[in-house]
Amino acid sequence: MRRALQGVGASKGLALGRARVRHPHVLTLSEETIARDAVEGEVARLEAAMEAARAELAGLREKLQGALAQEIGEFLDLHVLILDDPDLREGLRNLIQTGLYSADYALKLQRDRLASVFQAMDNDYFRTRLDDLDHVIGRVHAALHRRDDDGQLGLAGEILVADDIAPAELAELSRQKLLAVVTRAGSPLSHSAIIARGLHLPLVVGASDALSYVNDGDALLVDGREGLLIVEPNAEDLSRYHVLRAKIEKKRAQLDRLKRAPTRTRDGVDIGLYANAERREEIAEALAYGADGIGLYRTEFLFMARTEVPDEEEQFRGYRDAVLGMAGKPVTLRTLDLGADKADNSGLVLRNEPNPALGLRGVRLSLSRPTLLDAQLRAMLRASAFGPVRILVPMVTAREEVEAVRARVHSLAQRLRSESVPIGERVAFGIMVEVPAAALTLADYTDLIDFAAVGTNDLVQYLLAADRTHEALDGLYSERHPAVLRLLSSLFGTARSAGLPIHVCGELAANAEDAPLLLALGLRDFSVHPGAMLEVRESIRSCDLGKLKRRTASLLRCRERSEVERWMQRAREL
Amino acid sequence: MIWHEPPLLVAATAWCSTMLEREIHVVNRLGLHARASAKLVQLLARFTSNATLVGSGREVNAKSIMGVLLLAAGQGSSVILRVDGHDEAEALAAAESLFARRFDEES
Repeated sequence: MRRALQGVGASKGLALGRARVRHPHVLTLSEETIARDAVEGEVARLEAAMEAARAELAGLREKLQGALAQEIGEFLDLHVLILDDPDLREGLRNLIQTGLYSADYALKLQRDRLASVFQAMDNDYFRTRLDDLDHVIGRVHAALHRRDDDGQLGLAGEILVADDIAPAELAELSRQKLLAVVTRAGSPLSHSAIIARGLHLPLVVGASDALSYVNDGDALLVDGREGLLIVEPNAEDLSRYHVLRAKIEKKRAQLDRLKRAPTRTRDGVDIGLYANAERREEIAEALAYGADGIGLYRTEFLFMARTEVPDEEEQFRGYRDAVLGMAGKPVTLRTLDLGADKADNSGLVLRNEPNPALGLRGVRLSLSRPTLLDAQLRAMLRASAFGPVRILVPMVTAREEVEAVRARVHSLAQRLRSESVPIGERVAFGIMVEVPAAALTLADYTDLIDFAAVGTNDLVQYLLAADRTHEALDGLYSERHPAVLRLLSSLFGTARSAGLPIHVCGELAANAEDAPLLLALGLRDFSVHPGAMLEVRESIRSCDLGKLKRRTASLLRCRERSEVERWMQRAREL
Repeated sequence: MIWHEPPLLVAATAWCSTMLEREIHVVNRLGLHARASAKLVQLLARFTSNATLVGSGREVNAKSIMGVLLLAAGQGSSVILRVDGHDEAEALAAAESLFARRFDEES
């Protein structure tokens, strides 16, 4: 029966395919015992599942390639070692044989016993090793409940419906030609969402009813832009899909022609268009689409999906790859922007901060870990020998922070030169403007920095005291709030009078519809993920900057969002 | 032993007279983190002897990765390694050398 479900669009694109449902492997079951004569069978079932999990890990290990192969490989090796752990296996067997528990319940008991010890640890790094155990237990649990036809069919032409999805999984799924992903949990701001957009893989998150209403093998229509999914679509849905699909194809062909076109307004003003990119494919895409440089390289990507902090050498190679990949165009490397709100496996970040958005994150974390910061800065300076590098410092709240990092950059550069390590003649140094304090006092920083980048996602969140992902606040978080527009306008004005280059690298810049708004507010440099570059360029090319500038005053007079929307409506008609 | 009830291996080592024992200082920067623990467990798996690690009031099977991680032995801590079996001398020497080499990961 047809049913339409609404989620949140996290990565646009249309897909029509067969549903593959992956139910979450939550180990919250109640006590489950078996008959004494079933013990042998239950032990065998568990061992077969462990063997299957082992084979899966080996299969994943074999297919690894690319930049993260080594790190992910070590991660997988650790999981194999956990599977082979003699105590773990012995403990599980014991629980089944003497406790007469089912294999499922034995897994849960064993996990809970270990979890209580790990959770009591003071050391963040060791405490988060529980995640590794959970991965392995989850994999075994999934294998216990796998049906024979699972996995053999492959995922080509299918749409995965799952509880949640890990960033590392997405690349593999996309290689297997999966069409789209729908998750019950998740947020459009998650790292998975960012990666899905990079892979051009449609993703709908927050589809809370999806797991209840979608069955394996259902026909499923997914609209990643609208966050919509239709189970068993009817004739009308299908014809709408085909029309939309043709439109998208046509649009793509149109956009393809824009790859080599300049980012120039109708009245002939050149606008800077940079890319937010880290992965090699994204960087290649950015260059192919004529990016003026990388406006944001998030170094935390090197730290994710792994159990250890990458050392200076490894970071250097990652940064150098980006610099070489951009063939002489500037690459903006942002120092680590981790915080308790961005889960990772490096063990660097405090878990359970009472107020993660207001805690130890960004430059605050970096300054509390001087060795880590030095390794990052040295790696960045060394990469600058291969092309223009700009160092970007996130979450700046006070001048002292910038002075401290700047002093480190200078002293490390001196040391590298004295060691005859090649570094660039000049490395630009800049800050992220995302805390209102920095936005209000940008003029005070001009003697310390060469450029500024506006992170609108955080800036808006802090300015409006509204969490973007908070469901009940839907509508309050808005980049079109008059306070946001006035702050941005004053920021761009300050930068202009100080001769300070400034660009926006938040989601606001990537929303093609908002380009006229940002141009009217005075922005001249955009940095967006490569997948949005052509649309943003198209939007900029349709703008008349002179006419927009004459409407800036009326934009700044708007008192409500609805007035801003009306202004935008009129701007489109210019 | 945390997850064995009764603690089989601990009991086994207690009465054995020829068991070797050595106190080892954890000197590498990250301590017995995941990669280092993995190397230790893989190394000891090559020997038939039983091996236990004692640290911060806890005794674990040194051939169990989860056991070693449970010690949460950071830099500067010290652990006692006990090895018992036919090839105990070789196993102990190999393990000691691994610790001394800082798990081959810091140049």
